[in-house]
Parts: sequence; structure tokens; C-alpha cells
Amino acid sequence: MKPALPPVPFTPGASAANRAHRAGAKFLAPLGLPVDLPPDWQASALRKLDELCQQNRALPLYLDSCVRCGACADKCQFFLGTGDPKNMPVARAGLLRDVYRRHRTMGGRIVGALGGGEALTEQKLEEWYVYFHQCSECRRCAVFCPQGIDTAEITRAAREIMGSIGVATKYVTEVLKKVHEVGNNMGIPEAAWRDSCEFLEEEMKEETGIDIRIPVNGEGAEVLLVPPSADLFANPDTMIGYAKLFHAAGVSWTTSTYAGEAGNFGLFLNHEQLKLVNRRIVDAARRLGVRRIVMGECGHAWRAAQAFMDTLNGPLDFLDPPRPEHICEFAVRMMEERRIEVDPAANDGRKVTYHDPCNLARAGGLVEEPRQILRAVVRDFREMAADTTRGRTFCCGAGGGMLADELMDVRMKGAKPRMAAFQASGADHVATPCAICKAQFAAAFQYYKIDAQVVGVMDLLGRAIVIRN
Amino acid sequence: MNGLFLATVFHLSVAFFLLGMGWRCLGWLRAPVPLKIPLTPGPKTRVGVAARLAGETIAFRSLFRAAPGLWVVAWLFHLSLVLLLIGHFGGLVAPKFSQRLLGLTAEQFTAQAQLSGGAIGILAAASLLGLLLRRIASKPLRAISTAGDFFLLLLLLLIVATGLAMRFAGQIDLREARAFVSGMRDFKSAVPSPDSVFTTHLLLVCALLVYAPFSKLVHMAGVFFNPALNQTNTPRERRHIGSGLGPARVVFPPAKTP
Repeated sequence: MKPALPPVPFTPGASAANRAHRAGAKFLAPLGLPVDLPPDWQASALRKLDELCQQNRALPLYLDSCVRCGACADKCQFFLGTGDPKNMPVARAGLLRDVYRRHRTMGGRIVGALGGGEALTEQKLEEWYVYFHQCSECRRCAVFCPQGIDTAEITRAAREIMGSIGVATKYVTEVLKKVHEVGNNMGIPEAAWRDSCEFLEEEMKEETGIDIRIPVNGEGAEVLLVPPSADLFANPDTMIGYAKLFHAAGVSWTTSTYAGEAGNFGLFLNHEQLKLVNRRIVDAARRLGVRRIVMGECGHAWRAAQAFMDTLNGPLDFLDPPRPEHICEFAVRMMEERRIEVDPAANDGRKVTYHDPCNLARAGGLVEEPRQILRAVVRDFREMAADTTRGRTFCCGAGGGMLADELMDVRMKGAKPRMAAFQASGADHVATPCAICKAQFAAAFQYYKIDAQVVGVMDLLGRAIVIRN
Repeated sequence: MNGLFLATVFHLSVAFFLLGMGWRCLGWLRAPVPLKIPLTPGPKTRVGVAARLAGETIAFRSLFRAAPGLWVVAWLFHLSLVLLLIGHFGGLVAPKFSQRLLGLTAEQFTAQAQLSGGAIGILAAASLLGLLLRRIASKPLRAISTAGDFFLLLLLLLIVATGLAMRFAGQIDLREARAFVSGMRDFKSAVPSPDSVFTTHLLLVCALLVYAPFSKLVHMAGVFFNPALNQTNTPRERRHIGSGLGPARVVFPPAKTP
């Protein structure tokens, strides 16, 4: 299949102007970060680098063992889309590696330039800020690296270092502030949360004639569903899908306004926030007395939950089984146990393909379940090219805290490889269980003038599920 | 050149290499792995992890998928390095043993050593030249290459070139070389170096051994320590106890609970 979109020429500095808005005191202070660049910012940043190297084996290991073979270069959607050499994963990591070699290794200190060392200057910090916010931490480079070097770990470290000297994006810190103050990324207060749940209940009543509930803060339910808060406003069909699924399966469930957010923007800033945001889900589950935590359609949420929750805020022995479950796993289980029935005719007329959210596929190991659901609920399901799916999926172009309006240019360029693969598939619907992907696909379809729709896996399941009173 | 001097330099270089690499590995091992970060879909068992690492280190599996052209050159280069290492050991350090192992006469053994050594040396030189040309010819590669990358390629090329010169230009006397190596091994006799090309070859190898622990050559050990590859994909089956990265401070007053 021919890529529908032409390749981009190699252009130094092509993406240097794509700069996320910097966070001011209003968003930095509540997260305990310095509000101004400290006078000794250089020393402080190097101390943080030192600290992280001692606390996370992957970081020094990756900085030491890259051989600069370049196999990763044309695997990153942001390099493919912008042609900016600093968006090659090896070069992105190089921004941190230069400083590391100069300041932290004996080789760098002795041979300096020969080892490729560079000092941490204001200009270097600016490059860090620009290009470590043009990485969506999607791990695609790691899949193709002969050493398995995961640039996401390097980006996370660079952002943690920058955060420690008060350099962070407005988008990520503002979202985190909202989570701590209100309980979700969108900043939806409890009253509005209840309102929109009631509104969706009415919609479902009109459609089906049956009372299907979306419970809020219900104690003693079997399941705590943690959706991305975008599902309440931006993707209501996904929320309806969850509700119909639980209703049809006869499983009691609830949402929580304290943990009204599956997403964890701590993953995009620092370890401390990762842990704190993650803890909200565990605390809510304990207080509500649920037996299971089920995560909604959000990519990096699944990484934070399935891979980190037990480590950061466990043990989860109050759950049965003691681990979070994904809504797609839950749905597959319900189908296999024949507790729900589906009728794919409800989705006829839709040519559907599946986009693997990067975090689900490469950091969450969830690749088959969504496909099992789609094959059951859609009659025209087709795959995109194999080198763009499953473990080799392209990031949508907006993950990793990049879903900010001011980054639209690089987001659209980063979406390019995915759009090309989508066009080649001939589908007119893309199903994807990730709120960030959904927002990004909608914008990218418009930008690339592609007449198609993005939906959640639960949206299609919700339409196909057989509801009985 | 004085044999005893060369022997001392060589033994010190090998010791430096081993201690240096060990020190680098210890440095990595001292840092904890705070989180489960295996690349998924990934193996769920230790056997699966071993297979994944074997696939990466023996077949360069990921590189094959990433860049088949580079894979050919890189894999042949690494293969030739391994074969040359085995050949040097078998032909110079333990010739009697190798000869018996192969079941050859002394003449046959020497003939095959010269043939295979020459062929593999040419393969190593060709693949090294390929890697070097690639770094120079490709714009993206030039942009990411450091002075150290070129230094290493040139050092390796010089080592291979001096090796090939002994085989094709001056026809080194293998008996002399073996005598020198066994003298070096036992520290007994101060057998002089057979010739100046041999001396240069040996000293360049020493330089490589000393430089290795400071350079990207640590990748030969690093790959085995990479959590993205060596962790089992079992965060939900077994709790991963991550240390490091300190406890989170609560910056906010506890928000309203459900």
C-alpha cells in the first residue's frame, strides 16, 4: 500500500518554533515546584540528574549504551512528520546525553568533545524544553532499537529535571492542579458531574426505553469505573457504552468524583505526581468499598494503572482479584461468560479499523481484547498495515502531554504517519480506546481533509449490545 | 619491541577492560529499577525473557525489523568480531588444542588459519567500511554521529588493517607469533615481537581495551541490564517492589473524599 502523504525533507530547526506555553506561578506553586528559575538552576538541574541516575537504572544505562546507529530515526512520528533532526529519538536523547557525558562520566570529563559532551547552558535548556515536549513517550523507538533503549524514560527524566527548576508546560501543570482540586483533568465539579450523568441517563432512556444508570459515588458497588473525564463531555457515547455494558452484564458499578480521572498527567511531569494522582484511584476504591477497579478508555491511564498502581500505592489486596482491569478485558470476559449478547448489525454501514493507543499496546500489553470486541460488534472490521499496529503502532501525535492547542502544528505533523496508514486501510471509522487519541484524530481528520469519524470501542459495543429490562 | 614490556601492557589492558566493564555494570546495578517498564506485548516468564534477550543479542531481531540493510552490515561485523576473537584464541593461545579439535595436520591447520583468518578479516574490514561510509554519506547519520563514533570505527579499522597486513603484505611467520603469544601468556621468556606491524596491531588492541569501558562499547553488557527487555511483563501477576525515587510529598491538602 502506498503512503497517501508525501515524505518530509530533512530540515534542521524545522520544529524549533513549536513550543508549548510555559507554566507560570499559578500552576507551578500548587505542585510544589519553584515558580522562577532558581539563581543556581544549573547546579540544581545537574544535582537532579545525578539523583535520577542513582534512582532509576534505565536512565544511565540508556545514556551510556546508545551506539547512535540511527535505527530509531525514521520510526518516530515526530521526525517523520517534521523532518527536524532533533526529533530523531537518538538526537532527542542526545540533548540529555551531551550534558550527562560532560558532567557525570569520567570519559566525558577526560575527553570532553570526543565523548560528545556539552555544558548545560540556557540554550541547551531551551532545546530541552522544546524537544522533550515533542516526544509523546510512546516507546515506538524502543521497539526498533537493537538495545531496546526507551526514549520515554529519557523524556520523563528530562521533564522531571526541568520541573525541579520550575520549567514545565502550562497544559500539564494546569491539568494536574485541576485533578488535585476537583478530581479530574477537565475540572468538572461534582454537581456538573452528576448533571451530565443524569443527562446521559435520560438519553439512554429515550433510546432504549429502559432505565440505565450511571451511578456516582455509590458505596458498596462491585466495580469502580475510572473513565477519562473527557468521556463525560467530549465522548459521551463511550460513557453510554460503559453504562450499557454494566447494565446488560448485571454488574453493579459506580463512578467516583474523587477519582473521576483515569488519565495520569504525572507520567508527563514527575514521579511524585505520578504517584499522587495514582493514589486517588486506590483511595477512592477503598473508601467506596468496591471489589474491582476497571479502567476506562484512556491509553496512558492503563499504563499507570496496570504497570504502576500496585508498585506505587499497593498492595491492592483489598481488591478481588488484586489488580486493576481494563474495560476491554471486562467486556471480553462478559462476552466469553455469555453474560452479554451483541448484534453486529447495529454497526452495519461502518467500515471500522482499530488504532492501538501507544500506551495500551507498548506499555499495557492490551492488543487482542479490543480486536475481539470489534470483531464481535462490527461486520466490516479491517486492520491497518502491520508495521503500524500492535507493538509497532504509531502514536496519534498528541500523547505525553502534547494535546495543547499551541502545539497543533507539530501534533498534526506527528499525526501524518497514522493518517497515511488510516487512508490506506480504506476505513471510514477508526475505533480507539483513548481519549487523547480521540481528540487528536478528530482534529487530524479535519486537518488532512479525511472524511472519517473516530469512535471508542465502547461506543460501538454500546450500539451493538442487546439490552433487556 | 621488548616482549616483556608488550606482555605487561597487554595484560594490564585486559585487566583494565575487565575491571572497567565490571565497574560500569556495578554502577548500573547499584541503581534500582523503580517501576515495571517492559516493552509489551512481552514475555511473561524468565524463559521468555531469556529468549527475547537471545533474539536481540544473537540475531539482532529488532534491528532486522528496523533497518534490514543496516542489519546485514552490523550483524556481519559483529559476527566477524566474534569469529576473529575465537580464531585468535584458537590459533595463537591454544594452537595444539585447536589443531587436535579440528583433526588437522600442522600444515593443514596453518593453511586453514591463514585462509579463514584472511577471509574473516576482509569481512570485518568491509563491514567496518560500510558502517563508516554510512555515517558519512547519510545526512541524518552525520547529524547524530559524534567524534567518538568515528574514533571507534577508525580504531577498529586500523586494528583490522594491521591484521590483514600481516596476512597479505608481509606474511607473518605464525610460529614466531605463537612463540610470542605463549611467552606473553606465561610471562616466562622475553620473546621479542615478530615485527613492527605486529607490535602496532597489539598496541591498538590495548588502546581499544582501555577505551572500551568509557565508550559506547559498554553496550555489549548494557543490553542485558535493560529493564525494558529483561523484565517479565507481569506487573499484575506479581507486585514489583520498586525502590528509589523517594516518597511523594502531599502538596495539596487532602481533597474532599467520596
